[in-house]
Amino acid sequence: MNTISSRTTAPGMHTLRPHLHLDRLGSVIAGLMGLALFASPFVTYRANRIVSGEGRMLFDALPPAGALITIAVVLGVALCAVLAHRPLVRLAAASLGLCVIFPAVGFSAGFVTPAGNGFARVSPAIGFWLLALAFALLAADALTRLRLGPWGRLVALSIAAGALTLLLLSGAWGDLSLMKEYANRADSFWREARQHLWLAFGSMLAACLVGLPLGLASHRVPALRAALLQGLSIVQTIPSIALFGILIAPLGFLAANVPLAAALGIRGIGAAPAFIALFLYSLLPVVANTMAGLCQVPADVIEAARGMGMSRRQRLVQIELPLALPVILAGIRIVLVQNLGLATIAALIGGGGFGTFVFQGIGQTAIDLVLLGAIPTVALSFAAAIILDAVIDLTRRGAHDRD
Amino acid sequence: MSARAVILRVAALLLLVAFVTAPQLFAFAFAPLTANDAPAIYNQGSLLALTLSHVRIVVLATLASTVLAVTLGIFVTRPGGREFLPLSRSLVNIGQTFPPIAVLAIAVPLVGFGEKPTFIALFLYGLLPIFENTLAGLTDVSPRTLEAARGMGMNARQRLWQVELPLALPVILAGIRLSVIISLGTATIGSTVAAKGLGEVIIAGLQSNNVAFILQGGLVVALLAVLIHDGLGLAERATARRLGRPVDEIA
Amino acid sequence: MIEIEHLSKRFGESIVVDDVSFTVGEGEIAVVVGTSGAGKSTLLRMINRLVVPDAGRVLIDGQDTATIPEDELRHRIGYVIQGYGLFPHRTVAENIATVPRLLGWDRRRIAARVEELLDLFQLDPGEFAQKFPHQLSGGQQQRVGVARALAAKPALLLMDEPFGALDPVIRGKAQDDLLAIQRRLGTTIVLVTHDMNEAFHLGSRIAVMDQARLVQYAKPADLLTHPAEAFVEQLVGTAERPFRLLSLASVQDAMEPGSAEGDPITVSATLREALAQLIWRGRSALPVADAAGAPIGRISVDGILKHGRSLA
Repeated sequence: MNTISSRTTAPGMHTLRPHLHLDRLGSVIAGLMGLALFASPFVTYRANRIVSGEGRMLFDALPPAGALITIAVVLGVALCAVLAHRPLVRLAAASLGLCVIFPAVGFSAGFVTPAGNGFARVSPAIGFWLLALAFALLAADALTRLRLGPWGRLVALSIAAGALTLLLLSGAWGDLSLMKEYANRADSFWREARQHLWLAFGSMLAACLVGLPLGLASHRVPALRAALLQGLSIVQTIPSIALFGILIAPLGFLAANVPLAAALGIRGIGAAPAFIALFLYSLLPVVANTMAGLCQVPADVIEAARGMGMSRRQRLVQIELPLALPVILAGIRIVLVQNLGLATIAALIGGGGFGTFVFQGIGQTAIDLVLLGAIPTVALSFAAAIILDAVIDLTRRGAHDRD
Repeated sequence: MSARAVILRVAALLLLVAFVTAPQLFAFAFAPLTANDAPAIYNQGSLLALTLSHVRIVVLATLASTVLAVTLGIFVTRPGGREFLPLSRSLVNIGQTFPPIAVLAIAVPLVGFGEKPTFIALFLYGLLPIFENTLAGLTDVSPRTLEAARGMGMNARQRLWQVELPLALPVILAGIRLSVIISLGTATIGSTVAAKGLGEVIIAGLQSNNVAFILQGGLVVALLAVLIHDGLGLAERATARRLGRPVDEIA
Repeated sequence: MIEIEHLSKRFGESIVVDDVSFTVGEGEIAVVVGTSGAGKSTLLRMINRLVVPDAGRVLIDGQDTATIPEDELRHRIGYVIQGYGLFPHRTVAENIATVPRLLGWDRRRIAARVEELLDLFQLDPGEFAQKFPHQLSGGQQQRVGVARALAAKPALLLMDEPFGALDPVIRGKAQDDLLAIQRRLGTTIVLVTHDMNEAFHLGSRIAVMDQARLVQYAKPADLLTHPAEAFVEQLVGTAERPFRLLSLASVQDAMEPGSAEGDPITVSATLREALAQLIWRGRSALPVADAAGAPIGRISVDGILKHGRSLA
């Protein structure tokens, strides 16, 4: 016999060494902050709206005390980024940083602008944007690591939105060029905002009204499936201005020859082709995801429902649609984010929306005007993505509870 | 591929080539759309030259994005770069909520008008889908396959080049295809910042209220995009077929 | 010969392998069995250093594996895992050629070796060499997996649940094929399984592991007759014990002179098979024939029972 027994006492295999672990991502972020703080201008000063500007470093952009406080806070956050490991600490540090530099840049505008000068413009410069990027990266990383649930993410979004609203309402940014551009066209800003939302949400709703039944139909009729998906994916491939262009010709013809269409406000150029194009783009994600959602409902669940004597309609409403909901919503998320972005381009064909400011700004090389159009667009798509992701998580959770 | 599909593709390609090389042949079709004796065919430059420069900027930008995105994708999936993985995933998600036009518009004041801002926008925006798909492809390789590779004594580099990258290739190609399609569209908008491209035709039409220009510009861009999309899709399916997983027709 | 000396491994708080030592002789098959989570796979993976031991060492033919660069070591050790891990993007021939290519063999030598292995595993090179793994059945994939592991003529083959993904009928055949090939090549094998039948069928020695410890390492028959702990007894199955013993002995061991009526049983069959035949055909004795079919004696129910009692 050849038995070798073993012992349970193992030698001390692991000794705990005290060591300082430098966070690599944090070090990169801290490097970014250093670059922003000591090698880049914080704001740009221009004598008037059109001329090119000159950069002002942090020390020239703020009174000495303000500059010192800002530098101290940024260095503190950088230290946290490199040394702290707990995501909550890192998130708090990043938020503190953002809460300091955002008001600071507004304050700096007032400080840099000579008293009584109505033409001078002050804009955030590369240094500010780098700092904002660094803090945002730190916050995003911390939030990712925190693995917030859907409600947590919604709360985080509302806090961020609330803070931003507060900042804008407080007038702290009143002296910034961006807000001056806004003040000059406050009325048209809100008009274009409504138009933008109408284009994005209206076309999405229309796509849902048409796409859900289409998706259902092609789930039931396989013959329809291939043709429909292929056709829609070709549409999806066509670049937006090209599709606008292709639609302008027939719509113009319609407006010229059918009085009713003209009376309804359909014209070759304007919102109509943009709306229709956004609608067409939206169909593919809605149809494809409705189909995919219905396909992934487990066959045994449907079998069980049939066995219990549910009618076709009952199965659809009580079983299939609820189980397919998360996938369908994922399609709607794609549509919404895509439409909010694409609606910007509608301005090119006279369709209005935030793109109006972007294209005006490009025409006048006025970056602040571009930003006036671009920032709300980005903020809207960003918020829409977070909200819909959270909703998808919630419905998915519901679907699991039902399992 | 069925004979009908081949014929359709060849016909579409021939139509595109014919139109951009000899657009006057098609004047009869666009003439009814014009008013006040406006020209039916774009006459402020050669369509062929515009098409070529449109394709050129897309190809160059996509090449640059591919190199950087794949390199970054490899880096964050190696042990040394793992710390950057969670953040880079969220960044890609956030980045894709930016409309490409915003990137383009913001680049103009920084680098001026012309090809440069367009190239920057195409390059930056093109990174996202390629990076995302590189991550998906590399993290999707079955742990069993990697275990076998390690067990046979492949070192990290051999595993990457001989196992991980070939297996991730179809997914990376899908990302490149998506990126190219987005770039074709963004390059069209690039004409608003004076980049040479097919958007010029549409914009010229919008400015002079000439529907014929708008339509022909739209059709050429659309046909170009559909053909390129289709061609890249074929390449992708060919590599995927080798791995026994046919790619999703809609992807 | 492989000598495993005091190997230990701990992942965080839990000890996965605890001071395990045993020796596998040249050309032997050592089967490591135990419940899941007993540390079998980790033990195996420490042999080719996919897991680096916290303590202890492994000697192959007297050489400490820690002194060989890891990749070079793995080139010399065949490795087969459950699910095989075939490279989905490479053909059968390319899969088998993996290690020879890493070693820089010339093309002709690789081609010849691939063909030789395909023949050995009864896979027609003309038909299979250019196929991709997903075009193969489970049994064929398994054979390609083993062929790939043997490609560079390793002296040692490590197998982790190599038959786990096969259905019972194919599994039996695959085990027989492995035994035949192992006898022909004389490869030393360390195989991990949780299937006791497999262990008794293949093992020249069996290592029983429980909760990170090696409880017993012995020849199959010794494991049955002298279990070191209650755990071993439980694992081999008290009710199964006599039958397992009979399956380890051949007809030769209990053959009597004389003759009997009926179809003969071959002398190389196991006693378990012989007893099954006797019961099924309702006879108390059957003739025994040698490999050529010539009658050489008889085997009886009484003889088998007597032999069985003497073993216990």
